[in-house]
Amino acid sequence: MSSADTNLMIRSLAREAGMKPSRPVVSFDTALLLGAALSFASAVMLVFATFGIPDPAAILGSAAFHHKISSMLTVACGGVFLVRYAGRPGARGLALLTVLPGLALLIAGAISDTSGFPFLGRSEISVPSCIAAIVALSLLPLVITLFVLKRGVTTRPAVAGATAGVLAGALGAAAYSLVCKNNGGLFVAVWYPTAVLIVVGLGSIIGRRALAW
Amino acid sequence: MDPREELWAAAMRAERRGDAAAYEGLLADIAKTLRALIRGRLSRLGMNAHETEDILQDVLIGLHTVRHSWDANRPFLPWLHAIVRYKLSDAVRRRRREARYRYDLTLEEWSYVPAATHEDPDLGLVDLNRHLGELSAGQREVVRSLALEGASVRETAQKLKTSEGAVRVTLHRALQRLASIANLAASRRSKEKT
Repeated sequence: MSSADTNLMIRSLAREAGMKPSRPVVSFDTALLLGAALSFASAVMLVFATFGIPDPAAILGSAAFHHKISSMLTVACGGVFLVRYAGRPGARGLALLTVLPGLALLIAGAISDTSGFPFLGRSEISVPSCIAAIVALSLLPLVITLFVLKRGVTTRPAVAGATAGVLAGALGAAAYSLVCKNNGGLFVAVWYPTAVLIVVGLGSIIGRRALAW
Repeated sequence: MDPREELWAAAMRAERRGDAAAYEGLLADIAKTLRALIRGRLSRLGMNAHETEDILQDVLIGLHTVRHSWDANRPFLPWLHAIVRYKLSDAVRRRRREARYRYDLTLEEWSYVPAATHEDPDLGLVDLNRHLGELSAGQREVVRSLALEGASVRETAQKLKTSEGAVRVTLHRALQRLASIANLAASRRSKEKT
């Protein structure tokens, strides 16, 4: 293989200058926002289908619910920026800071927790069932987000998969908070992120292969 | 600021207007920069420097395939760096993996070993498979699709999600590689006879 070959190849590639991309018209950013909305909707539907539709008055009156869903949705917003960062080559790493507000909310919730709810939840199976539910609810969002990422260009597939896990996990957790009965701030601050981290690991493992090109 | 930023970004914009000459100049420029870089890395990794052009072409094709993803309002060099970095590590990783498979002794080959000492059967078919195995995964797919399945260049490009130009180039490289392998095998055989 000589450099003359490479020059030949360059010439034949150059002939395709100006050709429009064969991809559909929806941009990566649009696809990302649509994907996130679809992910959240799917997770909420799944929550309603498995746990039944909760009484709106009861959950809206619960301060703990507001804390849970707002902190997880804030993490998810950061996740959108993370995924956007992962899908655009050469983007600046400043986006990584966008998960901090959500984390701050979780920590604030843990510190100001005066509910007296136990750290391990109200029953023995609280922790495993909460984690399993959040991970299960995040699977479809994870798949959707990985598909969105395939429309971008990922130059670190494992990292990109992990960012998809942040978004999907946070959306799954936000949906789960609609039916979660464990209202302790510490419980939420520890076990919700644990479940999200499992989804992050999952996303990173899948992304390594699925997002390579 | 790096003077290449302005120069190359302008060439990328020219590509979008269909300026093939500017685009060719850009790719040639990038190739020149990368060639030295890749050769140095390969020797440091203990890999053969003659793979340089192969890897360089992989990088250029990758770059070409995703060129639309560059946002013309953003700097070009960081974008280029991310793509090149990924494609380089990908190319090296793939070669390592393929080398491992190539040297792997399969059960089939193993059971073939004692028989080969007794007779000298026609090894043609075995050779064909082995020679296809010498190609990179991408090259093998293209050869299989075009030569064995009889698909057109366009169909192949669609199936492999790449451009027609890239398919042609890959085929060209695959044929060259097959030819050089065949030459090598032939010269080895004639040496054994004498």
